[in-house]
Amino acid sequence: MAEQRRKPSESSSLSESSASGAVHVDGLTKQYDDVVAVSDLDLHVEPGELLVLLGPSGCGKTTTLRSIAGLEHVTDGTIHFDDEDVTRQAPQRRDVAMVFQSYALYPHKTVRGNLQFPLRKTDISGTEATERVEEIAELLEMETHLDTRPAQLSGGQRQRVAVGRALVRQPHLLCMDEPLSNLDAKLRVETRSELRQLQQRLGITTIYVTHDQEEAMSIADRIAVMNDGRIEQVGTPEDVYERPANEFVASFVGDPPMNFCDPDDVQAAGIETPQSAAGSPDTIGIRPEYIYPTDSRGEPAAGDRVEVDRPSDPVVLTVELIEPVGRAYEIQLTGHGLDLVARLRTRPDDVTEGDSSEFVFDLDRLTTFNDAGEVV
Amino acid sequence: MTVRENVANGFRIVLDGHRRSSLLSRIGFYVATALTLLFSLYPFYVMFITSISTNESLYSRDRGVIPKSFTLEHYEVIFGSGSFPVQTYFWNSLSVALVTSVIALVVSILGAYSFTRLDYPGGTLIRRGIIVVYMLAAITLVIPLFQLLVRFDLVDTKTSLYITYTVKTLPLTLYILWNYFRSIPVEIEEAAFIDGYSRLETIARVIVPVSLPVLVAAFLFSFKIAWNEYLFASVFLQSEALYTLPIGIETLDSAFQNVWGEIMAASIITTLPIIVMFLYLEKYMVEGLTAGAVEG
Repeated sequence: MAEQRRKPSESSSLSESSASGAVHVDGLTKQYDDVVAVSDLDLHVEPGELLVLLGPSGCGKTTTLRSIAGLEHVTDGTIHFDDEDVTRQAPQRRDVAMVFQSYALYPHKTVRGNLQFPLRKTDISGTEATERVEEIAELLEMETHLDTRPAQLSGGQRQRVAVGRALVRQPHLLCMDEPLSNLDAKLRVETRSELRQLQQRLGITTIYVTHDQEEAMSIADRIAVMNDGRIEQVGTPEDVYERPANEFVASFVGDPPMNFCDPDDVQAAGIETPQSAAGSPDTIGIRPEYIYPTDSRGEPAAGDRVEVDRPSDPVVLTVELIEPVGRAYEIQLTGHGLDLVARLRTRPDDVTEGDSSEFVFDLDRLTTFNDAGEVV
Repeated sequence: MTVRENVANGFRIVLDGHRRSSLLSRIGFYVATALTLLFSLYPFYVMFITSISTNESLYSRDRGVIPKSFTLEHYEVIFGSGSFPVQTYFWNSLSVALVTSVIALVVSILGAYSFTRLDYPGGTLIRRGIIVVYMLAAITLVIPLFQLLVRFDLVDTKTSLYITYTVKTLPLTLYILWNYFRSIPVEIEEAAFIDGYSRLETIARVIVPVSLPVLVAAFLFSFKIAWNEYLFASVFLQSEALYTLPIGIETLDSAFQNVWGEIMAASIITTLPIIVMFLYLEKYMVEGLTAGAVEG
């Protein structure tokens, strides 16, 4: 947030990264009556890391976050902050901060009052508390609104106050539960990069919950993809995108999602299917951006992109629909029993809706799954 | 928006036909309004006029709706003569109403909070029980309460009123606050927990300030009930020094004959504080009714 313009001074009370801040979750289970919200979940967050819990609604990501923050009693498992077991500790004693989806600002307090509130429970003296509040307000560009009440602020400003209230105490752990989902699209994109800069600069370990994969990809050090109360994969955004652990991750991450095909259809189309020691795959996946139209010489027309390493033989497919989506084009293709979506950065010249055209696949980018949906 | 503005708006809608009301429905509105006003305000009018009419005009056959002569002699009797200790009654009423309202408010803040946020065995039973108790007529409670007061040797003490009035007002204040607390987003409390505040501290520093308008309303209702209470006071009190205003007015009626001027003057004195209090606190109350719109 305004990082280039306002480096914190040497005497800044908002200190930069600290060595501690690790979070270890082992075997976490949370059950409500008959419903298992989180099941035997292991998660390790490094100090200073921003880890995103990504998954569809109802997958248990918010429950996991709330358990770590202490707002839910866990049914089983342990939670450690560094070496300290906090599993049975009240949220008041855990030294966590939280940004709620609804911001949860104190409506009867001014911005200043909201920012000061967490500091009253620390041993920070009055003058230092005032300094910190002013510093965090400046950092969030809210210094002119210190005496305003939340009801008079815009959504974006409220969100900033919520972030400020969480950061002012410099907690061991910062929890964010869909903090941007109430902002409009443009503000959401701006704010997420600001949040990322701020988090990196202060070095506070952060767990961030979202269902928005684009947000997750852009902000995370690592992403934990969750489904049905379990973690499907933990990895860097690149890992999760390029090397998904299973069909769920492959289908959840990426927009449009990965194409899944029957290996027999792929073979029938004349594309070499990868074989492995484990036998023939059950499903073959390819991301939409690794399907290219061919130019007049039969070469892949990859536009201004990287070279295609290992192109397949050209396959004739029918173009059902060419759909412009912002900066790219999505092309629906059928043929040989396949039903595919290709994503191109530029509109191909000689491809028209309703006609057949030749396409090639990048064979190095094929992902194969076994019958359990795991990557082979 | 105050009650006054709300009423004014209602009239404007009807008069300007903003909501495209038919002639028939407008006539219906006027008739209903006129009848309501007649039945609710006319007794006050009679009370006021009687209190300032001379005795001759009060007992003359052809007294009109508007009296021909005015006098303050009834008020002089009330305040001046030793026969009616209005100040003692007033302070008794005030202390009973204040103590009752404060106890009811404190207890119902904690009680309503527990209804809203805490799960405990029998919680549902207690919640329903509160409503049932509120539905009971006061007269059905008089004898059991009297027996209890005898047992605890509290008959003819102000404490008997503090206790029984609290019992009487608590269901209402609990219900008002419970309804409001349910509209407070739980995240605000969770934010306070995470910021390091215990549950009691959170109630004191977050729930109470956020609910202030509704607390004012609950206080006012509770004060009104205690201030106007007649039945319990008439049964549980015996010494005149402990009488509250409603009982005092009754003694005026039974001790003297044909003192309607004095009775009505005393009634005006009894009614005024409630009206003044309502007008003063009204703006907080209406705010309270719309305060659910507060952003989480």
